[in-house]
Amino acid sequence: MKALKGKDQVFSRHLAGKKASEHLSNFNELLADLMGSSEGKPEVLDDTTVIEISHANFPALISASLLGEFGAEVIKVEPPDGDPARKATPYGVNVKGIGIPFLMESRNKQHITLDVKTEKGIENLKKLIAQADIVIDGMKPGFLDSLGVGYRQCAELKPGIVYLAVSPYGHFTSKGKAFSNIPDADLTAQSEAGYPALTGNPEAPEPYNYPVKAGVWAASYMAAGLAVSGALTALLYKRGTGEGQMVDIASYDAISAWQCYSTIWGVHFKKPRVRVGNFDWAIFPYGYYEAKDGFVSIAAGSDQDFRGLLKIFKRWDLENDWRFVFDRITDDVDKLKVLEVEFKKEIAKHTRKQLVKKTLAFNQKAVKDKLRGQGFPIAVETLSPREVLNEEHWKIRKSFTDVDVGGTKIKMPSSVPKLSDTPLRLKKIEAELGAHNTLVYKKFGLSE
Amino acid sequence: MNQDYFTYTDGLFDRSKISEKPEALKGIRVLDFSHIIYGSVISKWLALFGAEVIKVEEPYEGDAWRAVSYWSKYWKDSSPLFQPLHPNEQFVGLDLKTQKGKELALDLAKKADVVVENFRAGLMEAWGVGYTTISKINPKVVYISCSGYGQWGPLRFFPSWDLIAQSMSGVAQLTGFDEKQTYKLPDYYGDFLPGIFGAMGVLGALNQREKTGKGQFIDVTQVEVLFRMMHNWSYMDLTGKDLLCTGNVDPAMAPSGIFKTKDEKFISIAIATDEQFAALLKAMDKMDLSEDSRFRETFKRLKPENADEICGIVDTWVKKNSESAIIALAQELGFPAAPVMDDLQIASDDWRRERDSVIEFEDDMYGKGTWPGIPAVLEKTPGRIKSMQRPVGYHNHYVLQKVLNLSKEQIRELEKSRIIGYWGNSIGQRPPVYYDMSTDPIINFTEGEEK
Repeated sequence: MKALKGKDQVFSRHLAGKKASEHLSNFNELLADLMGSSEGKPEVLDDTTVIEISHANFPALISASLLGEFGAEVIKVEPPDGDPARKATPYGVNVKGIGIPFLMESRNKQHITLDVKTEKGIENLKKLIAQADIVIDGMKPGFLDSLGVGYRQCAELKPGIVYLAVSPYGHFTSKGKAFSNIPDADLTAQSEAGYPALTGNPEAPEPYNYPVKAGVWAASYMAAGLAVSGALTALLYKRGTGEGQMVDIASYDAISAWQCYSTIWGVHFKKPRVRVGNFDWAIFPYGYYEAKDGFVSIAAGSDQDFRGLLKIFKRWDLENDWRFVFDRITDDVDKLKVLEVEFKKEIAKHTRKQLVKKTLAFNQKAVKDKLRGQGFPIAVETLSPREVLNEEHWKIRKSFTDVDVGGTKIKMPSSVPKLSDTPLRLKKIEAELGAHNTLVYKKFGLSE
Repeated sequence: MNQDYFTYTDGLFDRSKISEKPEALKGIRVLDFSHIIYGSVISKWLALFGAEVIKVEEPYEGDAWRAVSYWSKYWKDSSPLFQPLHPNEQFVGLDLKTQKGKELALDLAKKADVVVENFRAGLMEAWGVGYTTISKINPKVVYISCSGYGQWGPLRFFPSWDLIAQSMSGVAQLTGFDEKQTYKLPDYYGDFLPGIFGAMGVLGALNQREKTGKGQFIDVTQVEVLFRMMHNWSYMDLTGKDLLCTGNVDPAMAPSGIFKTKDEKFISIAIATDEQFAALLKAMDKMDLSEDSRFRETFKRLKPENADEICGIVDTWVKKNSESAIIALAQELGFPAAPVMDDLQIASDDWRRERDSVIEFEDDMYGKGTWPGIPAVLEKTPGRIKSMQRPVGYHNHYVLQKVLNLSKEQIRELEKSRIIGYWGNSIGQRPPVYYDMSTDPIINFTEGEEK
């Protein structure tokens, strides 16, 4: 972002002034030092062993990966022919037979093979569980139980165990039982959570008028975030009481349960939202718009922010009709379009950089206004992932890591969030099938 | 041991027993300076599982999200967008811009286990209530700062919203059929995902604190959390190519897509494995394709030309079948398929009620309501809703007496000098019109006079 080179641009009068600037400059250096490296620092879960047993279940796989980043010793147990999740990868792109999503979520894990169809395999699995603190069950609900290694048996094998079950419809309820045969996939999880029903343009020609899925694994990562938060909540309780428990996550409900506004809408309006293209249901403008040379994202949350935009565009003539959020946000989409046309016209007159520069300059002036009456609209370039990689800020923060995967360096996102004393970290990716058999079999006393 | 598995688990998670069970985070005090969604949902998680959350707001203004609602419609003078983010919380109106207000904030911070904030980066520091100050007076504190880009680095002061973070991370260009018309991830994904990752960080730090007695600083950023979920970085690195909009096809699953059924409903199907593919072929009565070299193996099936072909076959099949018939086949044979549900279906879903992810709750102030509930089901320490939102400053007397041991007189002084304050009369801040504050036990709280 060119506008930010040189002296720091601040957007609050509280951040300006000599004293504040100095303090913030010191704080920046302090944090760069404090947060910049994980070397020699302890890990939260260095006392925790996690057994991941999952089958084509990315929410479970990602959960184990995150616990690995927290420092847990994670052992992923696979059948002799491997977890088929290894192969689910964009257009089949893989490194020695392992796809990108699986590689990305093999962080710090050890991979062993173990055949649960044999008695020896089950005995070995039981030995592992007896030495574990967390079991992640990413199998069909009830499957591990039928093998004698479900929660009710695990709780006996290892009192105090935290049993994290991650499945599409969960391990209880009547629907959970009736739908237990349905495997996980991000797209179907999004659908059951009502996500695609909110996206797209119903006026486009078929099939472009269909509900549109999120172009990222929105459901899988949401489910994993909930699962790990659930496991860490249970683990905290265990540290106080010694008691373990079962935690159940339904990946097909992850977005709807946490993001929660579908429920709100359904309850209050007794009807579903209609898809409205690029509009937001609560804020205008809040979306992507086409500038001269590409796309920008423009957000104006409050009435003041909106007036700010009108000033930037020199379109005060619109103020009278659209002054209040109640004018701009209405269920009459046709009315909204009248205003949108005007905005699109103004935006199209500018290049991306011009728009960013203009709003930043406006904001810098506006925040000096004591009453903040000038608003704070935001415009940024809608970046492609490739453009993102050029940003110096992420290099300074080491937001990406080039990971050595069997001799090939591959770029991956670094661990988040950043903790000062016990940073999460990506130490290794060694994801070949059975890569750690010798090591783990020996350490945990399993029979070959 | 022979009890049916689901009978057993239904017993474990029996909803009628929730109120008898303990809370995992009881005794954890959270001081929440955050607003809108991002920081607020970190506190929400903690509050659901038993933490005492004190939400600090600007008097007579309140959290800006109180006033925002969909199509600008409100419920009992409150925003249904704000309500579900603040279960079980205590609301204090405190002016952080005054010296005395800062001192009170620091006094509260001294007695807190967790501090959450999502002001623009550096603002808490500039106000003198940032990590450098609080960690000195309370080394046990877990302090999380939520921002778009982080508390350090050249972009730190740059403004952010969910939408802006989606744009700055590259996510903005990934949803839709082509790059000329992309869509944001709706309902503020750029707040909710970083929010749950933030909660994860806090819980990790609380676990560490159990071992060492020491707190720490957490820097969670919207953009980096979004990076964490993107396959693009490795894909670009390995192929040199971009991975942008793919419409309704998941390029990692073949076949995959959102299809229209005979009865004009939308369903999605996404096949991850050979086993699921065989099940789908059986459902479609197309077993002859199982030997087709284009489809037999996952990596081959994922090649764009082969994926297109098989998606076309699925599309034709779905068009000839009803939604219920396809879902029944998926249940029987075991392949991922799901209806594209809408808001109303989600709100009225029995399954979600059984899981408590949609909850009927009767609140002392707002009465009966149906609310988004508990996002993760814990057997022994289940989450629960005990109250809904309250007006700005509603817990002033309660918190200042209970936590800081201030006297009624001291509190009245603070009121007079407007260091602490209450709700303004605008929608979202004020209580519902029918509610009688004069007899309310919390707003008129006097220590020692509790029932």
